[in-house]
Amino acid sequence: MRYFDTNINLSKEDILIRRSAREFAQDVMRPVSRELDAMTAEQVVAPDSPLWGFLKQAYELEFHTIMLPEYYGGQGLSPLQLHIVFEEFGWASFGLSVQLAVVCFPFYIACMTGDEKLIEPFVKPFCECRDGSIRGCWAITEPDHGSDVIAVGEECFYSEKMRGNVQAVLDGDEWVINGQKSSWVSGGTIATHALLHLQIDPSQGFAGGGVCFVPLDRKGVSRGKPLEKIGQRDLNQGEIFFDNVRIPKQWMMVEPDFYEPLLDMILASANLCMASWSTGLARATFEEALTYAKQRIQGGKPLIEHYVMKQRIFELFARTESCRAISRTAIDLNLNISPPHVEYSLWAKTQCTELAFRNSHEAIQIWGGNGLTKEYILEKLFRDARATLIEDGNNETLARHGGHILGETYPRSAERF
Amino acid sequence: MPVFKDKQLMEEMFGEIWNKMVKETEFGSKLKENGISIYFVVNDPDVVMFVDENGPLFGEEAKSKIPVVTMKMSADNVHKFWLDKLNIPKALALRDIKAKGPVGKVLQVIPLLKPGKAMYPDYCKKFNLPTEV
Repeated sequence: MRYFDTNINLSKEDILIRRSAREFAQDVMRPVSRELDAMTAEQVVAPDSPLWGFLKQAYELEFHTIMLPEYYGGQGLSPLQLHIVFEEFGWASFGLSVQLAVVCFPFYIACMTGDEKLIEPFVKPFCECRDGSIRGCWAITEPDHGSDVIAVGEECFYSEKMRGNVQAVLDGDEWVINGQKSSWVSGGTIATHALLHLQIDPSQGFAGGGVCFVPLDRKGVSRGKPLEKIGQRDLNQGEIFFDNVRIPKQWMMVEPDFYEPLLDMILASANLCMASWSTGLARATFEEALTYAKQRIQGGKPLIEHYVMKQRIFELFARTESCRAISRTAIDLNLNISPPHVEYSLWAKTQCTELAFRNSHEAIQIWGGNGLTKEYILEKLFRDARATLIEDGNNETLARHGGHILGETYPRSAERF
Repeated sequence: MPVFKDKQLMEEMFGEIWNKMVKETEFGSKLKENGISIYFVVNDPDVVMFVDENGPLFGEEAKSKIPVVTMKMSADNVHKFWLDKLNIPKALALRDIKAKGPVGKVLQVIPLLKPGKAMYPDYCKKFNLPTEV
């Protein structure tokens, strides 16, 4: 179903990009996501899984490079165009949207360094890849530390008692990495490269962190089993283990002297993605509810002709439009300034995921018993939406972080971009 | 003590660098191809520079332009950046560099300036600026 875009100044290019993303979302992404959703986690990443065909098609259409600059072979989409594409992807499948974003994450951060030693051997081949064989992941989450890793501003974040699950020690010109990431690493079971967060200086707690680029074919890397879960089952997630893994010194892109603010920059980008995909998910649930309300006859007339149902359908529409307004505002701000104002990404993520979840809950209520069955997509949308309240920082933790930033910075100066 | 003793020195030196980059390297054509113009707001000394495929402008002329990317930083950090001795992610994270403009375009500025970085040490010698920082 098409939607009316309140931005009546979209360019021809914007509209073409939306059409291309929508076709891919409708014809490829959603059907594959429903197939994957019905499989076990092991089957999702098995050699005969439809996941591989999906990735190949996405790479052929260059959707894996939409966040990367044209100079290196990326698509270089504008912030608005990114939002448009992400919304269509979120409409089709939240889990596969995450998969398609994390594949580029290590390469995106590598671009920031401008370091030829990362760009030539890694970023450029990734941009040129058309078969889905080069895939990144964002390895931040740890088995002993859920919210701890983003508890910036809290005493515990700086405590030497806070021992990270992955440690790096410099040995000559190489970093030696040991430890494990949790089973929640998105795309972790199939990734060829990782953007890896680890602890370098335990005396500073998590503030003593670092971020490095790690090809996962290095000696000493192993994986856990893919995780079974209730939502976003089409997104493979799993542990990564590091046993004396050695990487060159220059692949450590972030060290403790600026880990904390850099963590915020990464979090701001990830949360913008979450908010944009949530807009698509909210729209999908609204469309399902509206379509059903027009078809389903109760009390001798379609549901939509019932007084209360008109109100309920409008609420679904209103939440969807709120999602789009919030996420576009945040993306328009934070993808147009560097460094970003993190609180606006946190605002967008927490609000949009809550609104999308409420939509999915309400849509099931409108569908009644049909909404609970596996026959229709609505129950999948509900399960996927539930996961977003915890994913990429649970919303309570993100709100705490936002409050901390407000305490430090509010009101920001208009001159301070 | 600031690396650039005054505004005139910086404008003269960067006037020469930008013009050479635009005329003798692919910098100008790449700017045009990628739809990028850059406005630098520098402090200590206070200098504003605008550059696009036509070359540089300074002062009021620069201020009158509408750039795609704006970058704010101190003159000392400009110097470190051109000597390739500035960690860009670190400088951005610590707000030693602030940028405005689509992030994809900002990321493109870094490699586009490579031809200038190659010639910068020679200009340091010409204008008696240190290359060790």
